[in-house]
Amino acid sequence: MDTAIYVGLSRQLTLQRALEISANNLANVDTAGFKVETLVINTDVLDTPDPSAPTVDYVLDVGVGRSFAPGPLTMTGNPFDLAVEGDGFFVVNTANGPMYTRDGQFTVGVDGTLLDKNGNAVQGAGGAPLQLDNKKSPPSVGRDGTITQDGVAVGKISVVRFANRSGLSKQGSNLYSADPSNPPLPANDSLVRQGAVEGSNVTPVTEITNLITISRAYERITQIMNAASDLSLQAVNTLGKVV
Amino acid sequence: MRALDIAATGMAAQQLNVETVSNNIANMNTVGYKKQRPEFEDLLYQNIERMGAQSSDTGTVVPTGIQLGSGVKTAAVARITTQGTLTQTGNKYDMAIDGRGYFQVQLPTGETAYTRAGNFAVNQTGQLVTTDGYSVLPQITIPQNATDVSISASGQVQVTLAGQAGTTQVGQLQLANFFNEAGLEAIGSNLFLQSGASGQPNVASPASTGFGQLKQNFVESSNVDAVGEVTSLIVAQRAYEMNSKVVTTADQMLSTASQLKT
Repeated sequence: MDTAIYVGLSRQLTLQRALEISANNLANVDTAGFKVETLVINTDVLDTPDPSAPTVDYVLDVGVGRSFAPGPLTMTGNPFDLAVEGDGFFVVNTANGPMYTRDGQFTVGVDGTLLDKNGNAVQGAGGAPLQLDNKKSPPSVGRDGTITQDGVAVGKISVVRFANRSGLSKQGSNLYSADPSNPPLPANDSLVRQGAVEGSNVTPVTEITNLITISRAYERITQIMNAASDLSLQAVNTLGKVV
Repeated sequence: MRALDIAATGMAAQQLNVETVSNNIANMNTVGYKKQRPEFEDLLYQNIERMGAQSSDTGTVVPTGIQLGSGVKTAAVARITTQGTLTQTGNKYDMAIDGRGYFQVQLPTGETAYTRAGNFAVNQTGQLVTTDGYSVLPQITIPQNATDVSISASGQVQVTLAGQAGTTQVGQLQLANFFNEAGLEAIGSNLFLQSGASGQPNVASPASTGFGQLKQNFVESSNVDAVGEVTSLIVAQRAYEMNSKVVTTADQMLSTASQLKT
């Protein structure tokens, strides 16, 4: 009999989760290479004990969709800033194996290894870290990822793509990890741009609109729940009266 | 409500963004200043439902899963060491480095500091010093009877002495270079110290391979781009507002929830 309230609760829970996702999108509006996320909501049909009664549709969040649309490229002129144009990812070697990132704000280590900002080595073609020469001028990176210093090629930055990008798992620190069933493939059609950073692809207007929608939907469902609660109260008062 | 905490991380990040931008703008006219930039990254994700988890006996798997982010953090405030524009001053002790390298400065503590600010002067004994009076290394003394000083692109300091034809070399300036310039530790007064991240200095004469050349009568202006900074300021302010909007929304939802009839 209290089904309406439980259906309402399932909606409230998904709305709360949707708000958390919007909040995370807005918090990362300035995070390089960040990809916007949305909650995928579905109905979950539950059979009622009475077969003649209509089924009840609960609301269930089934997944988080991620838009891999490219973020805006900002020209910085910094030779260690790289951006991928296309669907590729840079590869960094972390303590937990290779991870993938769209954030190309790199730097060099004491020994000249190209590093990401957490100190993980950026992978070159073949899986080895990229070694730069200190005594030469800053590196120049070609569109295909070839790195040259003073006209001499010193390596090629590795760029990979995935057959199933939605299957990547976010690890924080702008890194993604991949499942063994979804191995990295060479991204031959992705281009590297030096001196540019890919911004976050969060569109603030959409997120603010989402906030309003979420907040109003929450109010609405709360009203329905209150109405359901009023009804049962009325039922008790009216039906319970001794005539 | 987690949304409140997430929005708080966003607001803290944007506050730091504004602080960095304001420091850049404040140092727009500081000789040799290199602009800084905050670099953000997303915080840990909580796996509510793992992607790839089996969703039935027949082997169907969850395609996307539910990963909830927990906000943003500042990974680094990086220094962008691009070349600043060279400005002519006409002062004979002003030197700019066109290319890579740092001047070496002896601190009163005996440590060596590094700087790109080449607006030097001479002290009462004729020694080449920074605006703070710290001597430039290797030490160079300009004789009192020198009528003119000329500094070559490769750092040779030559003086014309009163009553003498031709020039006399009084010293050779040297530059230091680092593998990771962005890793130098800033100590204020346009000075940097070597750190574990910067690596050991590599000292050589200006204009040798991998080093910039000296330009006398010029100083290197800061590489701060005023329009870029003002744009960043606007973006940071708006992003802060949007995160505060999340706080308002979460608050409204909590208030709505508390109006539920029991």
